[in-house]
Order: sequence, then C-alpha cells, then structure tokens
Amino acid sequence: MAFAEAREANGSDLISALHLSQQAPTILGHDPANTGVAPSTSSADTAEEYGQIEQLLLACLRTGDDKSAHACLDRLNHRFGASNERVMGLRGLYQEATAKDQPALKKCLEEYERILSENPVNVPIMKRKVALLRSLNRSSDAIAALIQLLDAIPTDPEAWCELADLYQSQGLGAQAIFCLEESLLIAPNSWNVHARLGELLYVCASSPDGDAPRLAGKSVQHFCRSIELCDDYLRGYYGLILASSHMLEKDYAHDRPSEAAIPSKKTLVQLKSLGLQKLGDIVRSRSVDDQHWASSRSELIAAKELLNRFEKSQ
Amino acid sequence: MAVQGVEQTILRDPALFYWILFPITVVMILTGILRHYATVLMNTPPKSPSTLAESRERHALLRGVNLRNHAFAVLDREAFEARKNYLLSGYRSGAFLKDPNNRGQPPANPMTDPQGMEAMMGMLKGNMMMMIPQTLIMSWINAFFSGFVILKLPFPLTIRFKSMLQSGVMTRDLDVRWVSSLSWYFLNLMGLQSVFGFILGSDNAANQMAQQMGMANPAAMMNPMQPGQDPDKLFLAEAENLEVTEHFCILDGVEERVLQNFATA
Repeated sequence: MAFAEAREANGSDLISALHLSQQAPTILGHDPANTGVAPSTSSADTAEEYGQIEQLLLACLRTGDDKSAHACLDRLNHRFGASNERVMGLRGLYQEATAKDQPALKKCLEEYERILSENPVNVPIMKRKVALLRSLNRSSDAIAALIQLLDAIPTDPEAWCELADLYQSQGLGAQAIFCLEESLLIAPNSWNVHARLGELLYVCASSPDGDAPRLAGKSVQHFCRSIELCDDYLRGYYGLILASSHMLEKDYAHDRPSEAAIPSKKTLVQLKSLGLQKLGDIVRSRSVDDQHWASSRSELIAAKELLNRFEKSQ
Repeated sequence: MAVQGVEQTILRDPALFYWILFPITVVMILTGILRHYATVLMNTPPKSPSTLAESRERHALLRGVNLRNHAFAVLDREAFEARKNYLLSGYRSGAFLKDPNNRGQPPANPMTDPQGMEAMMGMLKGNMMMMIPQTLIMSWINAFFSGFVILKLPFPLTIRFKSMLQSGVMTRDLDVRWVSSLSWYFLNLMGLQSVFGFILGSDNAANQMAQQMGMANPAAMMNPMQPGQDPDKLFLAEAENLEVTEHFCILDGVEERVLQNFATA
C-alpha cells in the first residue's frame, strides 16, 4: 500500500526476500526464454505467474543474485516486449541496482529523461526517476519530479505517501501531513497510513512551534482510528501510548470537552492503559510464535522496551 | 393435436445425428473459439493519456469524488474546507482542463475527433465479430438443413416451447419434444457460454492478460470520461455536488468509541 511503509516493512523483511530468491532456480527452471523456444502453452500464461516473476526479480536484486534477476527480466521482456512501460520500469530498476558507481547512476537518469521526453506519461519510469533522484541525494529535485507526477495523476496513493516521506526527510511537517491526508482520501481504510499520519502529527506536536495541543490531539485520534480498523496493529498501539502519555505530560488535556480534537484527561488515561495492556498482550503472543513474526522482530523489541520503560516509571 | 398419453414415434435415420447434429455443434464451438481469438487479436487496449495535462483532466474528477466520499473518514473541518475551495476554484476556472483556452466551445464531433473515432471503431469491430459469423452460419444451416427434425428431448415440455424448439418446421401436431436443426443452432448459440468458459479459461482470461501487464498503475489508465463528453460540464456538475457536501468527521469521538469497543470485547 504505502511506499514508505513498504520500505520499512521490507527493511526488516529480508528473511522472506531471501527465501523467495533462493527458489529462483526452481521457478525459473522451466524457462522458455532461455532455451530459445517460443513461450509454449505448457507453462501457464497467467497474470499470477508473471506477477510472481516480478516479485522474484525484486527479491533477487535485494539479495544480490543479479544473474537470476536478469533471467527474470529476460522472461518478462520476452513476453511483453521491451516497449512495455512496466518492463521498462523494471529494467531501469535492474540497471540502477547493478550500477557500479555514481556516473553509472547518472547515466540511468539520462536514460530516464530520454524516455520521458518521448512519452511524458510513462508512470513507472517517472517513479523510477523520483527514486533515483532520491538515492542520489537530490531531494528537492525528487520532490519537484514527484509533484509533477502528482499533478498529472492525483489519484495515486503510493506517490502521495512517498512525497510525504520526502517532505518529512526535509523537515517539512505540515506538507507531509497534507500529503498523507491526500493518500488517505484515496484509500480511507488503510490503517497503516492512519498510524503513519499519527506518527507525523506526534512528531510535529513535539516541535516547539505550531499548535501543539491540537496536533497532539489529532495524532491520538488517528492512532485510535488505526486501531479501530485493525485491532492488533502493533504500531497503532505503540503510537497511542506515546501520544497519549505525551499529552498527559504536557497537560494538554482539559477537564470538559470544549474542543472536539482534544480528549479529556480521563479518556487519555484510559487510552494509555488500554494501549499498554493490548501492547503487552501482542508482545507476549508474538514472542511465543517467534518464527512466524520473524520479519517484524525489530518492532517487537521496540515495543518491549517501551513497556519496560513504562513499568519502571510506575 | 397430439393424442395425450400416446408416445409419438418418428423414424429417424441415425445418419441425421452424424451429419447434422454433430456438425452443427462442432462448428458452433469452433466459431466461438475462433471469434474469441479474433477479438483478442483486434482488441486495442484503451489508450493511455499522451500528455500530462490530459492525464490530469482525467483524474481531476475522481479527486472531487474521493473528497466527497472519503473526507468524513480523514479530514477535520479546516483541511476539508481548504481542499474544497481549491477544487471548486479549479473546476470553475477550468484549471484542470487539458486545454483551458478551448473552454466553452462545443465538444468535438466524435466522427471527426480521431480519439472518438477510435472508440467507435472498437465498438463496431466488436459488433461485427458477433454479427458476421452468426449470419453466415445461420444461412448455412438454413440452406442445407432446414426442416430436419434431429433430436428428441428425454423430457416432456409445454406447448409454449414449440416456437423455441421447432423453428423451421411448420408441423402443428408434432410433439414439443422434437427439436429442429435451426433450433438446435439457436440453443447452441445461447448455451455454449459455459463450454467456452471451460475451454478458454474462465472469463476469457487470455483477453485481459496482455493488458494487465500494461497497467502498472490501474488508476493511471482509467478514463472516467466517455468520448464526446465535455469535461468542463462534468467538472461544473462535480463542483455543485462538492459545494453542497456537509462536513462531518468520524474521528470526532473516536477515542470513546475505541474504549467502548474494547471494553465490551
């Protein structure tokens, strides 16, 4: 769903990527492109299979198996032709991943520019360009390119999330919040984006300037919404605990509900204890079933630390 | 009228089965498959926008719809008003149009507009694909097999089915259970859909396959506007819808709701 979320999730999900890339020989074993035979009807010519090959390509690139990745790319090329936009995007990704040094990356960028000058609405290439600019540490250029993309296609939630991430990396909190709100307008039930927006609001509320109480209140609201949508979302509870205890510390809460965005003190205390209790439950149940949750182990560790901190302070 | 209770017997040459019933069925199945592949071959994928401005024109409307439908789940009043005002002024001033200067002019005639022409050609092609084989086969059956009674159904039917099962045979007294060759053709025409589904894969998967890879981003390919429609009018209508939208937010009171949910659970 969300780019930023996906990157974070993937960051800790190397294990499953490794597992997938290790299956490369078996999946690619019956490869018609390599043997030079035209794609036979014996291998299923379905969307799922090619989706699987695309996943395999990404996994191989991440685990450094460039040879298998190239085989995947060949296969997609063989089936859909080199002028297919998505294949072009994947080829760009492969070239970026195998680029040895900065000049090679610059060359990729020039290639993207050339493709875009031929067809300005090649969405996968536009996205690659943004990602490449970002990895070249040219954030402001990346933001400009992404704004151009979003101006043409304002209904792409992934792009809005990525822009939010870019803005946040530049310290532009208000803009990032706007972008995440746009993303949520397109996909209003994505609890991960709700939690992400809550995190952003929480960060903005911690900075001295601005309307801190209101931002903190909204942050609590979005965490609550995230939990409402998915009742075992670890990040949602984690954020709820942080945001509600922050509000209690700073004494933002008021005794009677005059402004809608700011909950009363009693509610905050209840929310915090609810969050602590639920987070404790999640940590306990997931620690038992360790193998299954291997990909989110870092989240679990962070949650444990938070719980310990609150136990000590009490 | 056929006498009740007495079985009508007609002596049929078994060759009728091999030379009429069987060929018609096979021909129908083969044409169905052939038609499917011809459609796949001639099908042109929906054209993606060629410029950024055109893409924006396509998506601007969706943005308004999204705001109207989903604002209650996300936005507080301030943010909602800001977005509403932005979209309203955009719709009203025509800032989202592909070509703001052309505003107010009548939409291009679909017969002269190349894009509209293409869409119409697509429709025409689809229709031709249905029409031509059907006409051919029907005239083939009419010329060679008209008037044959080729099949007896194993179950009785009411008199109403006579016109459906015995077209081409003008015999009043014939039992409804007898099926004529022309009717067999019609039954095949209507009833072979599931056979095609079995042979070609459900929902004719090969048809959509080639396009699926093209859609890196399905939203980018979507075109909410029909050819010949004036986007400006759509925008103005959407602006009106947006203006009367009342703001409410489900985030108000979400804390109590969550507490209550978990208290009862």
